[in-house]
Amino acid sequence: MTTHRVEPGTRFDDGVPLLAIDDLAVEFRTGDGVIRAVNGLTLSVDAGQTLAIVGESGSGKSVTAQAIMGLLQTPPAHISSGQIRFAGVDVMSLPRREHRAICGEHIAMVFQDALAALNPVYTVGYQLAEALRVRGGMSRRDARRRAVELLDLVKVPSAKSRIREYPHQFSGGMRQRVMIAMALTLEPELLIADEPTTALDVTVQAQIMRLLREIQRERSMGLILITHDLGVVSDVADDITVMYAGRAVEQANVMDTFAAPAHPYTKALLRSIPRVDQKGGDLEVIAGRPPVLTDIPPGCPFHPRCHYAQDVCRTDRPDLYVLAGGRTSACHFASEVIADVA
Amino acid sequence: MTEHTTPVPGIDPDFGTGPVTRSLWSDAFHALRRRVDVIIATVVALFFAVMAAVPRLFTATDPKSCDISQSKIRPQWFDGPHPLGTDLHGCDVLAQTVHGARPSLLLAIIVVAASLLIAFLLGSLAGYYMGVVDAVISRALEVFFTIPFLLAALLILSLFRSVEFGHGLFAVMLPPAIVLIMFGWVEFTRYVRASVLETKNLDYVMAAQTLGASDVRVIFRHILPNAIAPVTALIPTRIAAIISAEAVLAFLGIGIRPPEISWGISISRGADWFSGGYPHLLLPALTCLLVTILAFVVLGDALRDALDPKLR
Amino acid sequence: MGRYIARRCVQAVFTLFLVMLLLHVLSTLAIQLNGSPALAYFGDRSPTEAQIAAVEARYNLDHPCYDQPGNPCLGPFAERLGSYATGDFGTDLRERPVTELLAQAVPNTMRLFAIVTITWLVVGMVCGSIAARYRNRAPDQTIRSFSVLIDAFPVFVMLLVYKYIIAVPVGNWMQDRFGSDSTWALLFKPSFSAENPWLTLIVPGILLGATGGAASFIRLVRASQLENYNADHVRTARAKGLGDTRVTIFHIIRNSSIPVVTAIGFVFGEALSGAVITEGLMNIRGMGGLVWTAVGDSDIPVIISSVTLIAVLFLMVNLLVDLGYAALDPRIRYD
Repeated sequence: MTTHRVEPGTRFDDGVPLLAIDDLAVEFRTGDGVIRAVNGLTLSVDAGQTLAIVGESGSGKSVTAQAIMGLLQTPPAHISSGQIRFAGVDVMSLPRREHRAICGEHIAMVFQDALAALNPVYTVGYQLAEALRVRGGMSRRDARRRAVELLDLVKVPSAKSRIREYPHQFSGGMRQRVMIAMALTLEPELLIADEPTTALDVTVQAQIMRLLREIQRERSMGLILITHDLGVVSDVADDITVMYAGRAVEQANVMDTFAAPAHPYTKALLRSIPRVDQKGGDLEVIAGRPPVLTDIPPGCPFHPRCHYAQDVCRTDRPDLYVLAGGRTSACHFASEVIADVA
Repeated sequence: MTEHTTPVPGIDPDFGTGPVTRSLWSDAFHALRRRVDVIIATVVALFFAVMAAVPRLFTATDPKSCDISQSKIRPQWFDGPHPLGTDLHGCDVLAQTVHGARPSLLLAIIVVAASLLIAFLLGSLAGYYMGVVDAVISRALEVFFTIPFLLAALLILSLFRSVEFGHGLFAVMLPPAIVLIMFGWVEFTRYVRASVLETKNLDYVMAAQTLGASDVRVIFRHILPNAIAPVTALIPTRIAAIISAEAVLAFLGIGIRPPEISWGISISRGADWFSGGYPHLLLPALTCLLVTILAFVVLGDALRDALDPKLR
Repeated sequence: MGRYIARRCVQAVFTLFLVMLLLHVLSTLAIQLNGSPALAYFGDRSPTEAQIAAVEARYNLDHPCYDQPGNPCLGPFAERLGSYATGDFGTDLRERPVTELLAQAVPNTMRLFAIVTITWLVVGMVCGSIAARYRNRAPDQTIRSFSVLIDAFPVFVMLLVYKYIIAVPVGNWMQDRFGSDSTWALLFKPSFSAENPWLTLIVPGILLGATGGAASFIRLVRASQLENYNADHVRTARAKGLGDTRVTIFHIIRNSSIPVVTAIGFVFGEALSGAVITEGLMNIRGMGGLVWTAVGDSDIPVIISSVTLIAVLFLMVNLLVDLGYAALDPRIRYD
């Protein structure tokens, strides 16, 4: 396994991005049937780039993240097709130990609920230092020093005394910073943040997002931001992939997506964000519910809830059509959607 | 997920909604219905319950009419008036075993029912009103919990050994029943109290309170129903424990006493003669005891699994 | 942490006092209801005049409070507490000091419990871990139904079966083959032998451990490990790239040990009752055996003092368990 340091935007050879997912499909085999959590997903991330994966619960975004890291439990999860390539290397074909070796060292993950994600019985310092000692071979003293440095990096005050404290003694925002620090211990090239701010207050959210952006810029990391909150995305992301029912339904850069979404689902999501200048109207919601994953509707999975649905939508599943400017959209009527500025 | 009021043409808002979730109880019932071991256990438990209620269905012989000249006859199976033989005093073993079911089961049911009543009362008071009430009840819980109930039973019943409470089954059952209830309310009360503590801060309880519902009504209609599930899972196991405790107490001579009959008494009498070549004095009662207890434990275990949402 | 320890100790002492008061009140009531205070001490035996007088003198039973049912008799209670404090636990009906009896009995019970605890931990951890690892598959189902079965056997019944149906024939066979002093014969001896305390305690200890709580341990270990397998913090540990072994030991087992430790306190109570039965049926001269024979002999003084002592023991174990809990789970400490 080669360990390259990747410069911003550099590719190893032609078109080799930092992370490339090709037609990934992940199934969960349960007593109730086969759940297609991810149903044909393709995306890529470069060094120095921030990709936001947006979708409702059940859209498959967390499962994707865990598949990248090799954290899926098999059974019941089962990667039924597709490839995940990190720096050109197909990670799923690696022996388990090498796949695990990538975790932490090259790809790291920040989880949503820091209180649950941190082990309550060990001090923060211990948990920060654990990877350093076990995988980095550092001595206990060096690891502790490095842990303090990391806490300083994520702007936790009084880092030196706080490494002796336990996760439950930190506030929510501070805990999240600890999680970020922990992800950075082995200097990964790619950081996946799975709903890092969902459990936090709005003001703290902004701070954390700013922190992530800073760190990413300093280290030229790739950053995958997984969220259901479009508001958070606009500040930080370069590109967006919108997922629905396990597949990407729109991929574009942030500006294009916000200005003129190319998929009805994206459009509906954007409309449902309450705006300060909207006064007295009803809140927009998307009618209906996300599909039950054992029973995905035929044709376009979004058609039961779609304002633009026509007969063809009920029978033909739209591929991810490539549109002008490198955007994609899985909608038969993408151009109408873009043009419809209502 | 709110549904918008004006229907939009072409959209089917209910498409793809999953199966309707049933209540915890019917989910549990459906899960249990399929398990073979649960079915067998239920049949066994019912069998012995019937035996306890209507012993005459199983034997016409009077267990108390004993002819000493007929003692220690070996089992005659289908060939004579004593299918399982007779005991030391000439009493029919089958009749003794069949009639022995009643005290054991009856005691268990009475003790469990009384413990539940006390538990619901004290547990809801403690959990709902907190403060001094809770302090007192919690202390009491701790104190009673500290004394293993069998030991307390041994102590107290020994002291009462020579006291006559009267004749008849109920009179004889009274001392062990009282003691077992005294130390049996603890476990149930803890669960009820914990459940009340959990539920009382929920929104719908506060809603009921702000609407002016009286305390009693809030407790009975909104809080206690939540306590029923965890407690129900404990009931069969507790019944088994009491049946077994009765056997031990009878073995030591401080539980249900002769001339009343119970499985414990039969076992205590039969144990000494077992290796002397008279296994039929011990085995019938022992087997019945064992099988009944097994049945209730299986039921208790299955109920617990079925009613605990986390374990699914 | 210091404050927590202090608080728990004070609570324990207070509870102990209440326990002793409760026992005292109950026994006093029984004595009062019996009509004749001194006679109550003899259960259903018929004592001589001299014996009655001796009991009355020693236990202060000519105090008027014993003639008034309902009077909690706090005077005698205080006196008894006083004599307990000085180590005087009275004598049994044969005038032997209870402390002497206990001195002989306690080591045997401790040996028994050592074996019981080992059985719990080993059986619980091993079976529980296997059951968790292979959740809902064959090993898990087998372990679970087996533990239900074992749990179902009351200690009493299990020991009866063992003593009469297994130990006697097997023991005799072992004696014939290996000689009555051999390890095998002693292992299966259906009663206790003071010259070989450990050997003759092994099988009763294992049986008591298995029926008196191992099933709870298995269930608990399994549940808490399952909770931890899928726990978020385990996922984080894996995401850090830590190996399976390290994750299992430091993040799964370590975290799931917390409820297991607390279970010890709870299961211990069951085990104490079970010990009385075990020691009684197997003729082991431990504290439980003391209680058992005392009940059989209606030796009330012994019963009262040994039950009190057992309660003290239980409280101490609970205290230790609480402290252990705090040591293992920092969230408790900093309350």
